[in-house]
Amino acid sequence: MFKYIKYEIKGTYRYILGTMAFVLMLITGFYTYLVNASRAPINSIGFVSLLLGLTLFGTAVATFLYIVGSFRKELYEDRGYLTFTLPLTGKQIVGAKLTVAFIWFFLLGTVFPLYNLMMISIFNAAVHNLTEIFTAIAQVISFKQALFFIFNTVLKTSNFLLLVYFSITLSRVTFRNKKIGGLWFVLFLILSWLMSYGETKIASLLPYYLNLNLQSNNFMLNQLILNGMTLDFFHTGSLTANIASNIYVLVVTVTLFLATSYLIEKKIDL
Amino acid sequence: MQFDSNLPIYTQIINLLKTQIAAGKLSGGDKLPSVRELAKELKVNPNTIQRSYQELEREGLVFTQRGMGTFVTQEQTKMQALKKSLALEVVNNFVTNMHKLGFNNKEIFTMIAELVGEEKK
Amino acid sequence: MNNIVEIKNLTKIYYDKIALDNLNLKIKKGKVVGILGPNGSGKTTLIKILTGLLRPTSGEVLIDQQKIGVYTKSIISYLPDRNYLYKWMKIEDACRLFKDFYADFDANRFAELLDFMQLKENMKIDTLSKGMHEKLNLALALARKAKLYILDEPIAGVDPVARDQILDAIINNYNENSSMLITTHLVSEMENILDEVVFLKEGRLVSKGNAEQLREEKGKQIVEIYKEIFAQ
Repeated sequence: MFKYIKYEIKGTYRYILGTMAFVLMLITGFYTYLVNASRAPINSIGFVSLLLGLTLFGTAVATFLYIVGSFRKELYEDRGYLTFTLPLTGKQIVGAKLTVAFIWFFLLGTVFPLYNLMMISIFNAAVHNLTEIFTAIAQVISFKQALFFIFNTVLKTSNFLLLVYFSITLSRVTFRNKKIGGLWFVLFLILSWLMSYGETKIASLLPYYLNLNLQSNNFMLNQLILNGMTLDFFHTGSLTANIASNIYVLVVTVTLFLATSYLIEKKIDL
Repeated sequence: MQFDSNLPIYTQIINLLKTQIAAGKLSGGDKLPSVRELAKELKVNPNTIQRSYQELEREGLVFTQRGMGTFVTQEQTKMQALKKSLALEVVNNFVTNMHKLGFNNKEIFTMIAELVGEEKK
Repeated sequence: MNNIVEIKNLTKIYYDKIALDNLNLKIKKGKVVGILGPNGSGKTTLIKILTGLLRPTSGEVLIDQQKIGVYTKSIISYLPDRNYLYKWMKIEDACRLFKDFYADFDANRFAELLDFMQLKENMKIDTLSKGMHEKLNLALALARKAKLYILDEPIAGVDPVARDQILDAIINNYNENSSMLITTHLVSEMENILDEVVFLKEGRLVSKGNAEQLREEKGKQIVEIYKEIFAQ
């Protein structure tokens, strides 16, 4: 599997790093503008901030589409003839795709917020250096919270990616025609809805929560969210996790992984 | 080489090699190309070449030396017999065709005598 | 066992179209076998089932006594009829990938074949012409010491010079321990390198046999027999 990861990375890094370089330049441009335009009217600052947010959002969407596209290409384009005749199991192929998607999401998900923080510390007089920011964060977030934060991000992201992979694969197995294969997105929406419906249903049926709050003031966390990390359970400001629904998501994720691997190994007709 | 007659490829290769031996292009003791070389040259499956060589060996026209290759026989009697049988074949074909054209044996003789006589001059 | 491929009652149906109809075929080790038939006769479908790209609707396929899977993929060297290499690659990347995934890949042999085909390691995949693609793919396929080579239309769509090079490479590569399965509709160009031939017509096996034996029995070259079977 690691061998295959290597080739996945080789095939995608140009696009990802290119995008990253471009977006970092844009961010730098925005901050430079903000500092130089200190006498500019307030709404222009708001406008630039909005642009910044849109850029980050756009990058996230573009990266997502790119990653989805690279999976779809295996099933619909000639490169699949190479990938699926390599002596690899379905699990190894899906696992490699997933891992590489993760590496890129993780890279973009850390580089952009960190870069933003750096820009703030450079241009904003209120925050003097990065160490200060990190000490502040460390004071607010406990180890337990951080661990859960990571666990939950990994779980939700894999769940999401596998839902996409599964939808694409299932629609490929069901309809050989590429045009009808576009229905994967409808399938994806239905499955996502089922997924979250099940999640809330289970949470309400089994209301046992893991309380992760140590301190009530989560202001810094909310700041973090604004800087690009989106996590639904942080929005409330209090940090609790429904045990049953988390287990449910985990089980569904593993099932999706196994099902996608199975379809790829045993059912796909290229 | 183009293989277009109605014979199997190995027979055609045998005939080709026999002609070369009879014509002296390959003389007694000469090494035949290796199976692979000839296969590449003629663009033919190596198994086919192998079969041709085996057939020639069975007829005693070539012999194999372990690790050395296949060689044309040095037995003069075999060579003579080969030449004769190939010649006979040519003559046979010729006579048959002449008969088909309506010539009788006497006419054929005269024709050949004239032709050979002309060449001598 | 002496068979590298065993196919029993193999049927493949796409929706309403029967691509392969109850096919039975055994292929002995060390043979070069030609699967002959016009376009749409089921040749590529058969090959894609053997390589694991398509699933049989029914029937059984064994390669080296194993069902299609990771093992069979590791011993089959496949030349597809399309440009299957990743577009971002240079030739050297493709070489590395093959080296990484196939234990039987011989990088030195690959370098020789590249040289023979007049290709360079630093060429980019997406700048190659059709003929160059075909030659590169063949070099990759033949640089493996595989138990079974599966070549799908190896000389279709290349010029006569490239054809000769490709035939040379195939003959050169022949050895008693490996078997070759070659599909083609260019029978006269290929027939002399085949041990066995199989005629496929509309998904059915209509005739098969040793090529030389067929020539002897019918007093014809294979291409003539082919014309007889498919001319209608």
